Amino acid sequence: MNIFKGQRIALASLFENNAQADRFQVGLSISGNKEAIDFACFGLDSQQKLSDDAYMTFFNQPKMPCGAVELSTPTGDTLGFSCQLAKLPTKIDKLVFTAAIDGSTSMGQIKDGYLRFLIGNQEVARFAFSSVDFQDEKAVMLGELYRKDGAWRFSAICQGFNGGMAALVKHFGGEVAEETPLPVSTKLSLENKLASAPKLINLAKKATVSLEKYQLQETVARVGLVLDASGSMMNQYRTGKVQEVIERLLPLAVHFDDDGELDVWAFSSNVLALPAATLNNYADFINTTEGGWRNWGMMSINNEPKVIKQVIELYQKTLLPVLVIFISDGGVSRNKEIKDLLTGAACLPIFWQFVGIGGRNYGVLEQLDTMAGRVVDNCGFFALDDLNSISEQELYDRLLSEFPLWLKAAKNKHIL
Amino acid sequence: MSISLNKGGNLSLTKTDPTLKNIIVGLGWDARPTDGADFDLDASAFMVKADGKVRGDADFIFYNQLKSTCGSVEHTGDNKTGAGDGDDESLIVLLDKVPADIERIVLTVTIHDAEGRKQNFGQVSNAYMRIVNKDNNNEVARFDLSEDASIETAMTFGEIYKHGGEWKFKAVGQGYSGGLAALAKQYGINI
Repeated sequence: MNIFKGQRIALASLFENNAQADRFQVGLSISGNKEAIDFACFGLDSQQKLSDDAYMTFFNQPKMPCGAVELSTPTGDTLGFSCQLAKLPTKIDKLVFTAAIDGSTSMGQIKDGYLRFLIGNQEVARFAFSSVDFQDEKAVMLGELYRKDGAWRFSAICQGFNGGMAALVKHFGGEVAEETPLPVSTKLSLENKLASAPKLINLAKKATVSLEKYQLQETVARVGLVLDASGSMMNQYRTGKVQEVIERLLPLAVHFDDDGELDVWAFSSNVLALPAATLNNYADFINTTEGGWRNWGMMSINNEPKVIKQVIELYQKTLLPVLVIFISDGGVSRNKEIKDLLTGAACLPIFWQFVGIGGRNYGVLEQLDTMAGRVVDNCGFFALDDLNSISEQELYDRLLSEFPLWLKAAKNKHIL
Repeated sequence: MSISLNKGGNLSLTKTDPTLKNIIVGLGWDARPTDGADFDLDASAFMVKADGKVRGDADFIFYNQLKSTCGSVEHTGDNKTGAGDGDDESLIVLLDKVPADIERIVLTVTIHDAEGRKQNFGQVSNAYMRIVNKDNNNEVARFDLSEDASIETAMTFGEIYKHGGEWKFKAVGQGYSGGLAALAKQYGINI
């Protein structure tokens, strides 16, 4: 009987009777290879993982603890196993027969080979393959026996990995010692960059921890900050809370930004684009820039759409990704306008991290995470009672947790 | 609640969901975890008469002809790898717009360049077809291919058909070798 690639078949149908299906051999052979090939049988759990290393059977470990699979090579084959599936513990759901080339050639360079089933050295079924079934794979799953609705079935696979045995083991959830060292960062450490700003130096380490956690060490991006300056925010400005926001965010801008600048907007019923915050002017930024916040002509009602439009206008043509941190104390009412603007902006390289501080009625901002109809999820939102209600470490974590997800999605959609 | 069909099974769409007028036929499969050429599955639809043949080439809706002239069947575009959650390809069927002389809409899936890439359905993981009510996004029926898939490169997944004044769906799961060309020929398209 012949089995073909892609075929799935009841194991019992290969044999004359159930007794045969209970005790049989699997023979493996490959010819035309210039380098050694290692065959193995992996016993996987229902999650398709090798949860117990003892269930990998190969020349170094010739028998499963339960005795269900044991190295035993039929005459004429390169390697083989004797199988008694009834002995397998129920946690083992699948037996995958694999071949891996130990060297520089690939399966595309072999001549041909087969996986066959035998009863007492008599072949009952054969799955034949040849070099045309492969490309550059070095390690392949030739076929697998798996449980389905209480019975065993066989599937002829012939698929694998260019990365060889290590990639195969990784696919099965195993761990392989890492040989390649991590790339050395080409970026100057944040601590060095902040050396001239003693007030911020203690934030460098905390920001770095979060940046590493979300694998953003190498990311270059522009950073913008939008500050709610409506009347209800007055106390936050007066007590220095907004100044704290600037100081905590500047390290992120210094890290991400090509020019180390934090673009800042203040908005109320109108919008004021402030000079960028930098390491040179951050100290007392809120009280001194443009004559200080009391002279900005703000502290009226809040018009988010107006500032969103200005931010989009500045960043829409940039080639770098943009992280916009948008501070609001709520009272959001122009929901439809905001929703439409941000939906339309989903195709732009801008990620909007909204942060609610000390307010309520965040309106549509709270639904931005799950808002449908966008190419990618380009918004995040979280609310804090007070900036001081969480640690700086946690603040950085929360500010940075969604940005990398967006970066990935935006790359996939060719927005970046 | 969605009804899961086995190969050969059928159900009355009209009875299962009386509000059903506009259908999304969703096709999905898993991107391969292994290396090698991606599996590129293409959904197509053949609008056939009582004799099982199309009226003309315009009744064959596929990636190069995305919409039928009557507007009742529309293909929403090609996904080439199976990456991402949810349906990978879909067709929209507006039941009220289906011309009177069309008895069945045959929903097929083929593997692009199966011959060249040496691929078949048996190697594709978790392929399914589902019928969704477009107006409320509820899944009405689903057909998981998995164990019925084998060495075929083209497959009639299912059919939406008229039966005694109601619309029904049948999980066919019939495979063919020879790809899209063989399928098209079977339903009367001249290639």
